[in-house]
Amino acid sequence: MSAAASGPPSAAAVADFLREMRAGIEAGLDPLAAARSAVPRLPARLRNAVEALARRWRGEYREDKWGFDEDFAEAAFPLFEFLYEVWWRVDAVGVRNVPAHGRALLVANHAGSIFPFDASMMTMALMKEHPLPRWPRFMVLDWAFALPFVSSFMRRVGGVPASPQNALALLAEDELVMVFPEGVKGTRKPFSERYRLQRFGRGGFVEVALRTGSPIVPVAVVGSEEIYPKIGELDVAARLTGAPFVPVTPTFPWLGLLGLIPLPSKWRIEFCPPIDLSEHGPEAAQDRGLVFDISERVRETIQERLYANLIARGAPFI
Amino acid sequence: MARRVVIIGVATHWGTELARRLERDPQVEYIAGIDDREPTADLERTEFLHADIRNPVLARLLPVTEADTVVHCGILWYPAPGKPARALHDINVIGTLQLLAACERTPTLERIVVRGSAAIYGCEPAAPLFHTEELAGKAPLRTRFQRDVAELESYFDNFAKRHPQIRCAMLRFQPEIAPGLDVPLTRYLRLPIVPTQLGFDPRLQLLHAEDATGALLAAVRANVRGPVNVAPTGALSLSRILRSAARPSIPVPHPLFEPALGRLGVELGAGPLVADAVRLLRYGRGIDNRRLIEDVGYRPRYDAAAAVADFFTKSDSRRILPSADLGGLVRRLAGVLR
Repeated sequence: MSAAASGPPSAAAVADFLREMRAGIEAGLDPLAAARSAVPRLPARLRNAVEALARRWRGEYREDKWGFDEDFAEAAFPLFEFLYEVWWRVDAVGVRNVPAHGRALLVANHAGSIFPFDASMMTMALMKEHPLPRWPRFMVLDWAFALPFVSSFMRRVGGVPASPQNALALLAEDELVMVFPEGVKGTRKPFSERYRLQRFGRGGFVEVALRTGSPIVPVAVVGSEEIYPKIGELDVAARLTGAPFVPVTPTFPWLGLLGLIPLPSKWRIEFCPPIDLSEHGPEAAQDRGLVFDISERVRETIQERLYANLIARGAPFI
Repeated sequence: MARRVVIIGVATHWGTELARRLERDPQVEYIAGIDDREPTADLERTEFLHADIRNPVLARLLPVTEADTVVHCGILWYPAPGKPARALHDINVIGTLQLLAACERTPTLERIVVRGSAAIYGCEPAAPLFHTEELAGKAPLRTRFQRDVAELESYFDNFAKRHPQIRCAMLRFQPEIAPGLDVPLTRYLRLPIVPTQLGFDPRLQLLHAEDATGALLAAVRANVRGPVNVAPTGALSLSRILRSAARPSIPVPHPLFEPALGRLGVELGAGPLVADAVRLLRYGRGIDNRRLIEDVGYRPRYDAAAAVADFFTKSDSRRILPSADLGGLVRRLAGVLR
């Protein structure tokens, strides 16, 4: 049984499988039974893939109560790995600043007008570079969950609708949660204002961190601002679709779907040392002054690291 | 302490089940069931009182029973025989008002438990994935049933505030399934090919009917006030529910789903709840059951996955496709190879 050897599936192995199947059919088996009898001809890797697919088909896969589907996330991994390694050539700095265990709130700048890829690239950085990788969860703009396909995709890869309740509940279960306090204001800003942080909401993320006793890890993402340089907006289209805004970039909507391909900028992601808030206790979440102080401190840290990493990165597209 | 319990809507599945369980409890000295039709199942020591919840006669009937506990199971989610869709508002809202008026005239009363609905949280795409009790009323009220539930809850809240000596508990139930339960949702899940909405995969919490009765019974016994979510632990996506049951589904673009289900709804008996079902099957809904476990002291026996598994293994459902057992086959073959 030569085909039992493991290795990448080759054309020869598939041909072998088909030959065996044809022999089965000629021997009087029905096609399905013939396919079954020929399965051993497949090499181990292909056999595993078929088995995984069948498991999925039967609904025997992990999916947690938040809707995160680890198998699905793993299946999407190669695509994002390509974007991470080849397309954007991401340099990740300070990944070890992210706690390996327990709850933590990752706070980052937000950019990329058509589709913000920063959450996915931060996830890749953690999964690829962290000594103890784990899947983080991220807060997604509400509107995404009203869309077909986008909603189920986001949920399966670990996205949840952005709300304090969801963040609190996830942190209470010791998850790693990524938030983008700039929200739409961040993704919507024109290209001319790149890397200038917008207002950090009302500091809700600080309240969440205080109430759950989670450390805050500020994250500076450089490169995300150049992927879809926003030069304008289509107001009518936004009103028609109910989208928060519809951006105009040098390629979108002029080139149609091709315009959705992000530009291959060079990225740098820095994870800063965690800010420990355990001295304050959960009641401190009521203290407006303290919340604004911490929020401002996080914002300044990210802004400062953005400028430092912009210099470290050099030319945006090389 | 001997208890005297009155069940409103005793002819409903929930009312009958609760009466049956209470009959076995020696602490309960007297059980009465009020409804406008007799329960189909035999009840041993439950006294049946014939009355329509919408009728003011309730206010004369209830004090006579000298009840200390009233359980309201008469809130209808779906139209029933003799109770068409347009009567639901009257039964649910006006009926509850009549009941509260009757409760006011019953001096022996100590507690009221209402079998309400989690529909009050709505089904919003951006809603919290697990609603806690205090989040009710944040979502816009989009359907008739939602508005009815919100309205009767507000009357109930007012009543609870004016009568602090009465312990008022509002249980908010997620939709229920069970092998023997025949409601539009179980009929939908038993369809030979289940229509779903293209591109949407809602997270659902389907409560096992046994847990529904268990929670109701626990709430009758517990000292609990205010709203309590009743849901299984965890949540399951519709696609996984259907796959694990080897149930073929047909994705329909979501603008066409409502008309499609509308036609189907007549057959399913879902009636006007189509609007609720469409949103539930598009965006899903999750609620947090911590209060049920901690304050009521009832831990659901079936979690979200187990409830669905029990439903499908015990229902005799028609299958039109052979279940794909490729994985098992491959495993067997791999064993042969070694």
